[in-house]
Amino acid sequence: MHVALLRLALGLYSVGFAHSVLTALQKKQTLFRPALISVSVGFVLHVIAIISRAMEVRYLPLTQQYEAFSFFGALATLGFLIAYAKYRIESLSIFAFPLIFVMTFVANLFYDPSASIPPVLRSNWIYIHTPLVILGYAALFFAFAAAIMYLIQEHALKSKHPVRFYNWLPSLEICDDLAYRSLAIGFPLITLGIITGALWAQAVWGVWARDAKVLFSFLTWLVYLLLIFYRLIAGWRGRKAAYLSIVGFIGVLVTFLGANIFGGLHTFQ
Amino acid sequence: MQLALVGLSHKTAPVELRERLAFNDDALRLALKSLVGRNDVSEVMILSTCNRVEVVAESADDHLIREFLCEFHQISPDAVSNHLYSLRNADAIRHIFRVAASLDSMMVGEPQILGQVKEAFRIAADAGTVGMHLSALMNRAFAVAKKVRSETGISQAAVSVSYAAVELARKIFGDLGGKTVMIIGASKMGELAAKHLKRNGVSSVLVTNRTFERAVELAQVFEGAAVPFEHFTDHMDRADIVISSTGAPHFIINKTLAEQIIHRRKNKPIFFIDIAVPRDIDPTVNEIDNAFLYDIDDLQQVIDANLKERIMEAARAEKIIDSEVEAFCLKMQSREVVPTIVQLRDSLEKMRREEIERNRRYLKDLSPEQQSAVDHITKSMVNKILHIPIEQLKQMVHDPAGPDFIDTIRRIFNVKPPQ
Repeated sequence: MHVALLRLALGLYSVGFAHSVLTALQKKQTLFRPALISVSVGFVLHVIAIISRAMEVRYLPLTQQYEAFSFFGALATLGFLIAYAKYRIESLSIFAFPLIFVMTFVANLFYDPSASIPPVLRSNWIYIHTPLVILGYAALFFAFAAAIMYLIQEHALKSKHPVRFYNWLPSLEICDDLAYRSLAIGFPLITLGIITGALWAQAVWGVWARDAKVLFSFLTWLVYLLLIFYRLIAGWRGRKAAYLSIVGFIGVLVTFLGANIFGGLHTFQ
Repeated sequence: MQLALVGLSHKTAPVELRERLAFNDDALRLALKSLVGRNDVSEVMILSTCNRVEVVAESADDHLIREFLCEFHQISPDAVSNHLYSLRNADAIRHIFRVAASLDSMMVGEPQILGQVKEAFRIAADAGTVGMHLSALMNRAFAVAKKVRSETGISQAAVSVSYAAVELARKIFGDLGGKTVMIIGASKMGELAAKHLKRNGVSSVLVTNRTFERAVELAQVFEGAAVPFEHFTDHMDRADIVISSTGAPHFIINKTLAEQIIHRRKNKPIFFIDIAVPRDIDPTVNEIDNAFLYDIDDLQQVIDANLKERIMEAARAEKIIDSEVEAFCLKMQSREVVPTIVQLRDSLEKMRREEIERNRRYLKDLSPEQQSAVDHITKSMVNKILHIPIEQLKQMVHDPAGPDFIDTIRRIFNVKPPQ
């Protein structure tokens, strides 16, 4: 049943995706309301899908690639709904809806009913390490989206060629606030994620630094550490913080998606 | 319903003429009462603002209204005839919808006009000179205005310096609550911009001026604090928005000073608005991170872009108006057609019965069959006579000439319009 539900959720998310594409093409938001409703309903189905999968397999469904992507998609939706409830910024949807759609789509693509947990991953660590990392990445995605919106809005203001298309963008202060809060949530999560990963690796192999994914995640973590440092100590905000946040998220993407490209322990096959 | 609208506006008449034809509140009541009941004028309202004077009446006779306007204001008809416009039925409805939706305004999209139209309607309603038709029309006009406002962007974009300042400040700070504005120099335009910012949520105002007394005076107006001009830079880090409009011949805020301020503000953004000519703030200040500088030309550029946008949005608004006018005409005409048909049938049926009654004594020798044949023949004659007019009436629902046609049919058959 969870597969059907997930597909249904994907169908509903596609309305959100269409909204983003149309907004980018027409430079005007016309579909936001229906898209918001579809995505919200999709989210409910998605959560039910994850729960029913968990009940079926009797473990937290995070061990297979498809489960991880599905979990990421659901978290991104949750994050968007929370941010929307707080700031009422419709424009965030233009970044969030495609991510939600793509993550859920990839989850559907990778679904493999015959797959079982690889023996190497049969450990309780997986239920701590994976959710922490995915939660962290989802939060950092919103920091990234806020940074992009900040830069577009800032450029429009500085260049003094105000384009009406940008009127749907939130104010600089809200973008910066959203970026900072997302970072404040995401950074501790990925920090814990890395620590638990290290402990787990230690427990299984005794060493842990020979994996591309581990290396990239550590580099990414350093970028975010730098960002936190500059924000707190040097009072960085706005443009410089936004640039660093974007660099950091590129690191996240390489880390999250790159495992299969570079190979290594996280390939799990 | 027959609708006539006679008026003049900023588009057709100079202000000298508009003010001569304008009505104050007392004159308005007097004019409404003396116009209603003249000839066929059954309902009337008058809109009188500084940009337009318009008489809307349920009447087929716009000449009468023109004459009345001249007579009331004691102006020779020749002096105004080229400036007055007369519109009837669908054209009048379209005009009223456009006026209420602020499409006919001097500043398209300005929000005051709808309130003025509502007030004009209220005065006429109080004076008892509006009835079913004008009420239906005006209520629709209010709804159309609301629809235009919510579905198009014609009144969203800022088209004056003060509004542009508020709009830009919102793009930087979002909510202006809790923000502080500093006014440097006491010019009218600076004061106006500060007033708008305050109205939009800015909570405290600092004023500085070369003449300290003037600063104190202005600070009182805004319930803010005056700052001595010699020390204004010491207080500037408290300001989120700085409006500068001094008469200084050189820059009073240079890049180094702005950098220091930003540093003291721990990189919190600051919005400089330089409305002085010659300029008060070094344009390179805009290159500093988290500092945003707009001079008077930059603000004008924002306004121009917004005006262009308004023109595009106005085109969308016109489309809404078109379909609304059509829908309203259809509704009004179909509302008139059905009672007219009923009245026509009733009136001819009454005529037929009266004729039979009058000739009863010649008919009484006829057999019952023959009597019923007479009845049948006269009935079918009435039906034949009415067949074409009724068919035409039904078709006229969709025709812009509908009201005139309905009126003609009524005159020919001598039936009164329903009240």
